[in-house]
Amino acid sequence: MAMAMEVDLTELDFSGCSTTTTTTTTEDGVTCNWNDWSPVVDWDVFSNDTDDFRGLMESMMSDHDELEQVIRVQDRSNSISVSTPSSVTPTKSKEDDANTHDLKGLRLVHLLMAAAEALTGANKSRDLVRVILVRLKELVSPSNGTNMERLAAYFTEALQSLLEGAGVHSKHHHSIFSSGSHHHHHHHQSPSLHPTDALAAFQLLQDMSPYVKFGHFTANQAILEATAHDRRVHVVDYDIMEGIQWASLMQALVSRKDGPPAPHLRITALTRGNNGRKSIGTVQETGRRLIAFAASIGLPFSFHQCRLDPDESFRPSALKLVKGEALIVNCMLHFPHFSYRAPDSVASFLSGAKALNPRLVTLVEEEVGPIGDGGFVGRFMDSLHHYSAVFDSLEAGFPMQNRARALVERVFLGPRIAGRLARIYRARGVEEEEGIEEEEECWGEWMVGTGYRPVGISFFNHCQAKLLLGLFNDGYRVEEFNNNRLVLGWKTRRLISASLWAYHSSPSDSDFTN
Amino acid sequence: MCVQGDSGLVLTTDPKPRLRWTVELHERFVDAVAQLGGPDKATPKTIMRVMGVKGLTLYHLKSHLQKFRLGKQPHKEFNDHSVKDASALDLQRNAASSSGLMCRGGMNENVHITEALRMQMEVQRRLHEQLEVQRHLQLRIEAQGKYMQTILEKACQTLSGDQSSCMASGSSYKGVSSTSNQGGIADMGGTMKDFGSPMNFPSLQDLHIYGGDHNHHQLDHHIQQQMEKSSSLDAFFPSSNINDNICLGMKKRPSSSSYGSSSKQSHLVWSTEDDIRLQDHELGSAVACLGSQEDCHDQIQIAPSTIDSTGTDMDSLGDVYETKPIISGHHHHHHHHDSSVGAERKFDSSTSSSKLERPSPRRAQFPVDRINPMIKAQGRNVPYG
Repeated sequence: MAMAMEVDLTELDFSGCSTTTTTTTTEDGVTCNWNDWSPVVDWDVFSNDTDDFRGLMESMMSDHDELEQVIRVQDRSNSISVSTPSSVTPTKSKEDDANTHDLKGLRLVHLLMAAAEALTGANKSRDLVRVILVRLKELVSPSNGTNMERLAAYFTEALQSLLEGAGVHSKHHHSIFSSGSHHHHHHHQSPSLHPTDALAAFQLLQDMSPYVKFGHFTANQAILEATAHDRRVHVVDYDIMEGIQWASLMQALVSRKDGPPAPHLRITALTRGNNGRKSIGTVQETGRRLIAFAASIGLPFSFHQCRLDPDESFRPSALKLVKGEALIVNCMLHFPHFSYRAPDSVASFLSGAKALNPRLVTLVEEEVGPIGDGGFVGRFMDSLHHYSAVFDSLEAGFPMQNRARALVERVFLGPRIAGRLARIYRARGVEEEEGIEEEEECWGEWMVGTGYRPVGISFFNHCQAKLLLGLFNDGYRVEEFNNNRLVLGWKTRRLISASLWAYHSSPSDSDFTN
Repeated sequence: MCVQGDSGLVLTTDPKPRLRWTVELHERFVDAVAQLGGPDKATPKTIMRVMGVKGLTLYHLKSHLQKFRLGKQPHKEFNDHSVKDASALDLQRNAASSSGLMCRGGMNENVHITEALRMQMEVQRRLHEQLEVQRHLQLRIEAQGKYMQTILEKACQTLSGDQSSCMASGSSYKGVSSTSNQGGIADMGGTMKDFGSPMNFPSLQDLHIYGGDHNHHQLDHHIQQQMEKSSSLDAFFPSSNINDNICLGMKKRPSSSSYGSSSKQSHLVWSTEDDIRLQDHELGSAVACLGSQEDCHDQIQIAPSTIDSTGTDMDSLGDVYETKPIISGHHHHHHHHDSSVGAERKFDSSTSSSKLERPSPRRAQFPVDRINPMIKAQGRNVPYG
């Protein structure tokens, strides 16, 4: 690591850089001391078969350890002052453009990686991080540019938060209808959120991507199948949010063919103990809405709340159960619009639910890539990979709607990226100090370890997921694993999974097992 | 029911067994007839000798030759059998052409036919199942969209009660679009168009039909609209393995069960007139509001705001709801194809931000559709009616 830090950092202009640079895609932009800022890499290696940018990232991620992480900071003042927002030459062919974009994207990735390494690696240097972030902000903005550029902008912001220590404490209680701005440091000139932004973004997210519906419908179909002949169905919902999942279940229940017509549905929504009143108010409103909806379609329905303990742990005894009802445990985690829930809380819910002998547990969670040797940089790169796939999928859904996409990115993805990086940063600290394993894990594996057994996914359900994805874009994939887990992915990247479980084994369930 | 003989002949199990003239068998028959100098010279007996197929009787040949002489269209005989047999014939042909299995295969041929028939039935069963899945999926998407609608409406009501927030959201457009360069407004025009497109089929406007009892011409209109949509929906389905098959069914959907019949069932009928009216706002896509400033004012004020200092410090919708909703009449708009295209044009041509900032409180307060549902109907064909 040969570094020369010659220029006084206080001279750097932090504020202006994000707004002045728009797109530096020309040769000019590339050549302005760029190589002084990026890890020394033979770019041409990557620039040949660059049809799939994530492919590049994958190759990079697999061998990034071998890359020489030499960052030379020689003529910083020069490179920072030279921000050349020149426009793309019109004569340039499309392929060249794509190539330039990929090249720039790669450089952004390298810069981000360098920043992540400088933040946590063996040779920590906060000054270096700062400098790299300044450079990044010159290059990108969350509101325009290519996917990679906008993505890099959010990662830059998140890194900036980590650098300033803001992210360390951030638990990111981010609800889709909260403004969200207060846990998000806006170094860019990003407008703060209006309450309806979140609502609009949520609607957009649903319309432009299958993520939310995939999770809800897969879970609901499994619930329908598991309760096909029951007269009373009780769903315990860990995080009901606005209750949007249940409208389609209600609809399906009133139109089910076999079994008694329209069973009585009872939903118990868990409310969080700590930020009490607000959470309860939201849940109450959700309850009113669900009751109105159920009434409108003639479904017998009742709604209850059950409060989590102040530490957000779950006490099964707090739940009111009625004999003879089929109990369903519903656990939606990690939706883009969902708030982050502490793993301890999720674990207490899922293990506590065993005491209830649930007929079915539906679990939706984010897929995390193989971390490898762990560590902040590895997870950082995995997150980058993950969100690049998300960004790409959203763009493919609505290629022309920059503003709609930008809103979704700003409202949901930006805060999520910030939250995610904050957590892996914090987890890294914990690991170093206490040797505790990482906090985010695959809940599916955890379920097996806890004694849950997998419940098979039906053909209908699989088919439904495929049809649903078909409504969106060719790039979406659905895969089935272990017969109890459907994974929604974008191209090669797995993004979100829905899995089915049961604890209490009874003969009637055996149909669903492997 | 058919029985397959040793020689590969397929005989029915009738008391008086009839022979099924497979393509292969018929070809042999034709060959034999040709060898014997044509249908008029050939006799059943000579044909039987030339063909040399065990189990073939004079009775069979006589009848077949008769038909052959009459029209040289002995395939018509297949029509005597059930439709199932006819499809078996098709299968047979397919199998013959595709795999060459029919070439003098005798017994094997029929095994393959049976297999093919079985597969065909399996395919049909699956197709049916998938159509079923698709129908359910459609209903679920609609239900979810409808529910989402209720959320949007509530937010709309709450916010429209707060004129200042309306103003704020109006002026916010400048802020937002300035962050996304000049492309912003035009983009949203495009978004609107997109949301008027088949992509939007899950959205709530489709569900109007459920309330069709109240307004018949409206129902017709929607069915028609739905037809248009769904026909373009065919094109929309990409060719992922399942969907190839499903496309067949898509076209039928609007005229059949999911709309026609369930509208009578009225599962999703809202209980009051007002509620139905509210649906008419067609809030289904929030983008519509984002996209069109005019719409935004008249509708639910879903607007990105840079000015959030106006006391709308609401951390959750729950809080939004807790403030007393003041139901001001919402001027409704229709985001079917016509109007959204119109809107797009409009915004292409007039992208001045001053226009975008102009709030329209008068219209926002004018409860047009609460007064007269007919106005609604008139407005349908007019962008911004």
